[in-house]
Amino acid sequence: MRKVKSRSFSILILVAIAILGMGFYVGRYIVFGSQWASAPFNQTVFQRGILNVGVVTDRNGVILADVTDGRRTFASNADVRRSTLHVVGDLEGNVGTGALTAFASDLAGFNLITGSYSLFGSGNKVSLTIDSEINTVAHRALNGRRGVVLVSNYKTGEILCMVSNPSFDPANPPDASTISELTDPYVNHAIQSSFAPGSTFKLVTAAAAIEQINDVYDYIFECTGSLEIGNDTLICRHGPHGTLDIERGMRVSCNIVFGELALLLGTEVMAEYTGKFDLSGSISVSGIRTASGRFDDEAADGSIFLAWSGIGQHEIEVCPVTMLQFAGAIGNEGRTARLHYLKRTGISSLFPPVSGRLISRETAVHLNGLLDIPENQTVSGFDIRAKTGTAQIDGRDPHAWYVGYIANPDYPYAFVVMVEHGGSGASVARPVATRVLQAIVNR
Amino acid sequence: MEFIRNLLNQIQTAIAGLDGGVMAIATMLIRFILPVLAIVIIVRCARSLLREKSEEEIWGQLRLPNGILLDLNYWENVIGRAKSSDVYMEYPTISRNHAALIRDDKANWRVYDVESKTGVIVNGKQIESKEGVAVNSGDSIELGGVSMVFTAADNTDEYEQAASRTRPGQFYKQYITLFYLTLFQILLGLQLCIAAGDSLTMILPVCFVSLIALTWACYFFTCIIKRIAFEIETIGFFLSTIGLSVIATGSPNEIGRQILFIVLGLVFFFIMGWFMRDLDRVKLIRRPIALVGPVFLAITLLFGVRIGGAIRWINIAGMQFQPSEFVKIAIVFAGAATLERLFARRNIFIFLGLMGICLGFLALMNDFGSAMIFFVAYLVIAYMRSGDFATIALSIAGAGFAGLVALASRPHIAGRFASWGRAWEFVNERGGYQQTRAMTAAASGGLFGVGAGNGWFHRIFAGDSDLVFAVVSEELGLIVALAAVAAVVAFAVFSVRSAGVARSSFYAIAACATSAILVFQMLLNVLGSMDILPFTGVTFPFVSKGGTSLVACWGMLAFFKAVDTRQNASFAVRTPKRPKYSGGGSIIYKEPEDTSWEGGDDE
Repeated sequence: MRKVKSRSFSILILVAIAILGMGFYVGRYIVFGSQWASAPFNQTVFQRGILNVGVVTDRNGVILADVTDGRRTFASNADVRRSTLHVVGDLEGNVGTGALTAFASDLAGFNLITGSYSLFGSGNKVSLTIDSEINTVAHRALNGRRGVVLVSNYKTGEILCMVSNPSFDPANPPDASTISELTDPYVNHAIQSSFAPGSTFKLVTAAAAIEQINDVYDYIFECTGSLEIGNDTLICRHGPHGTLDIERGMRVSCNIVFGELALLLGTEVMAEYTGKFDLSGSISVSGIRTASGRFDDEAADGSIFLAWSGIGQHEIEVCPVTMLQFAGAIGNEGRTARLHYLKRTGISSLFPPVSGRLISRETAVHLNGLLDIPENQTVSGFDIRAKTGTAQIDGRDPHAWYVGYIANPDYPYAFVVMVEHGGSGASVARPVATRVLQAIVNR
Repeated sequence: MEFIRNLLNQIQTAIAGLDGGVMAIATMLIRFILPVLAIVIIVRCARSLLREKSEEEIWGQLRLPNGILLDLNYWENVIGRAKSSDVYMEYPTISRNHAALIRDDKANWRVYDVESKTGVIVNGKQIESKEGVAVNSGDSIELGGVSMVFTAADNTDEYEQAASRTRPGQFYKQYITLFYLTLFQILLGLQLCIAAGDSLTMILPVCFVSLIALTWACYFFTCIIKRIAFEIETIGFFLSTIGLSVIATGSPNEIGRQILFIVLGLVFFFIMGWFMRDLDRVKLIRRPIALVGPVFLAITLLFGVRIGGAIRWINIAGMQFQPSEFVKIAIVFAGAATLERLFARRNIFIFLGLMGICLGFLALMNDFGSAMIFFVAYLVIAYMRSGDFATIALSIAGAGFAGLVALASRPHIAGRFASWGRAWEFVNERGGYQQTRAMTAAASGGLFGVGAGNGWFHRIFAGDSDLVFAVVSEELGLIVALAAVAAVVAFAVFSVRSAGVARSSFYAIAACATSAILVFQMLLNVLGSMDILPFTGVTFPFVSKGGTSLVACWGMLAFFKAVDTRQNASFAVRTPKRPKYSGGGSIIYKEPEDTSWEGGDDE
């Protein structure tokens, strides 16, 4: 029997496998449990794919999404609903950046200990950093035009305003069959799309030039309204500007100045700076990856393509929210706080927000100086530093951009306004920004 | 912090809406109490099974020429020069596994020549027969020139020995554990009634009361036949209770049938246990039962219905049966062997042939999961019988090759391997649909579950059988689910602990093989549904829906009862009868022992 006994220990191998296997499972449960439980087929907290628990509020506690009698309800004002669609979400779970989808696990109140269970099935309250009133102002300012309005606090990284058009009323959603890819209102263009940046990209060219060309402030350019490069011509629409330096070049947004600077810097340096400023890459905003930007790093040195790149034309595309980060960093002496629109909670919120250096301090100060343009001062009492952009899109109306920040320490706001095919930055995008900033400083 | 704040919020909301909230509060409390009870029940059972004293017994002695007495501690003893021998004799003339000295149920002893070079001489006569020679007290047995005198313990010795051994229940009183189990059953039933709400019918509470009555009826029956241990039954009832809860959630109309299956399982369990009291009976029936395997599988293959790719079921009179569940028991019977047979090569080849036929049938039936379980049972039995790692290694290599052939020729098996570990890439396709939902449901339950009857996962195809771990995790929480896993693992540890003290190696091997089947099957079920192993569609013992499986599992528990040689513990082990005249001259020398087995209270 002793033989049998010693051989019976082989069963302990199976016992060990069982313990290891269950240990491995528990490990996976701890690491991935939240993800698993947030799948839209978790019927304890989702109904037909939409969360039926949890409340979404804006930064001031205004309820943007609630549950009444087991049904999902939204804010009472239709403009508030439309303007917050892309941060709150819809009934079908089609808006990926909406809190109902993106922060489902927080809303469900899921944690590893009590799972999806909540006593009355009420879930959790999730607060956004968005100010729904500002969002509504921005939405009205866009007045139905396709586009994006973004405002952040560049000290904390909180996004106060994020509006994307086209939008729809989540309480009366459109018939899905009528929605084509072109008019897709489910996409949050502030995060999930990239656009040609036009002249706003001259800030990147300027930053590279300040750092790479020693006496760039002494350089004198000659704008005759056009510049021959090989067989092609670089046009300066507002020119001819005559003789000018980089400072005046920025103020009048001269294409010749920044085209020539790009040619001086070369493709490699331009691509490097675009990447360094996160404009050709992708960042994470409250856990959501932004759309990637693009820079044509195969444009031959000395070619018209490189010159076009220097003024934000050609194949360059930038995601609006990374532009917001860049603008905020200029206002914040080169540092950037991580952008987010889900309010930070728990222990981590007691510590200052994580921030990093995007631009060297010196360069940021120089860019700040270059943006001191009289036309920007549209909100009295506030020092607005910004750059317009008018991105030519073959054959169609250009994208109108206005990117910048308020340079007052008590109002540390960065902003991006982009109206798709809206026209010129100065006449279309700037008034939208003015209305929104006015609303913010009045609050 | 966030968690505590939310919890407080919830409690406040609960109190505010008390009129509709009493039920919700009850659910909340039950959710937290059930896991605690589950842990208490399993810990008490496991500790009781594994930690109780089980003194060595003396069934006879051998007196060497120099006067030294060697104890025979088992019913089946190997005498030899090998260190692992039960009676170790360091004489160069004695072979490693020289002889076997074996007592049967009626206290008759036989000596067998096992693997000796020089033979065994009993009272001057060389043993010729493979069937051994009977020996009585006073007979001389000569091995390799060493002559010794054999003495068997008589009835009085055995009775006194039995009286002096520790009885189980030193750590924990069985009825207190059972009381906790009853509380578990009541609260679970209550929670299910709350969850059923308006659709509640009387059948649900009636079934839970029936289950409680069954539990106690079994306990009192055990008491009446003067047996003490009830841990194995308690674990069986614990798992069956969870199973009943799964049925109550998923298919409330079938809950009555489930009770019926539990009754059938108990009947089968007691018959099996009673049958195994007598080893002669078992030996007699081993061969016929071995045939059950191939015959049942052949019947399934011929008349079975194909469900989900595999042929597992046969329909008789509108009921579905899964004969392969009983084949597992047949395999254990066929594979386990008494000690004197362990050394005969021929026997294991017969078993190997039998396994080959069974695995062949299972391959034809496309029942990959069962084939894996049978293979593990085979490995355990083969190793316990031969002790030969080389054979085992060869078997695994062979099985690996067969597995590759199966993968190549069966697209649906290959498909399962293709999606294995990548379920989230196949969220809405075959190969990921069930597992992703299972993981979501399991995580959704957290540690304490969303409450029995409040889940949704049971609506997923095979949710209450092949993916039952997810239902249990979702509704009762991870703790109860892990307690169920631990319960099955406890059987395995118990069978290892008992293997050395079983009355026969037959029982020891049977218990080990059974525990291997149960543990492996459970692992395939749990880890398969959670995408850690390929999904094979096997049941979680006792918990998964399926009457045949439940009855067979209860039957298998009898194998554990048969190795439980703690004094007066198991109804499947006989105790010596009271001698006709007590105080008779004992010829076995015993150390005086403390007989205060009634002392040492619970906790």
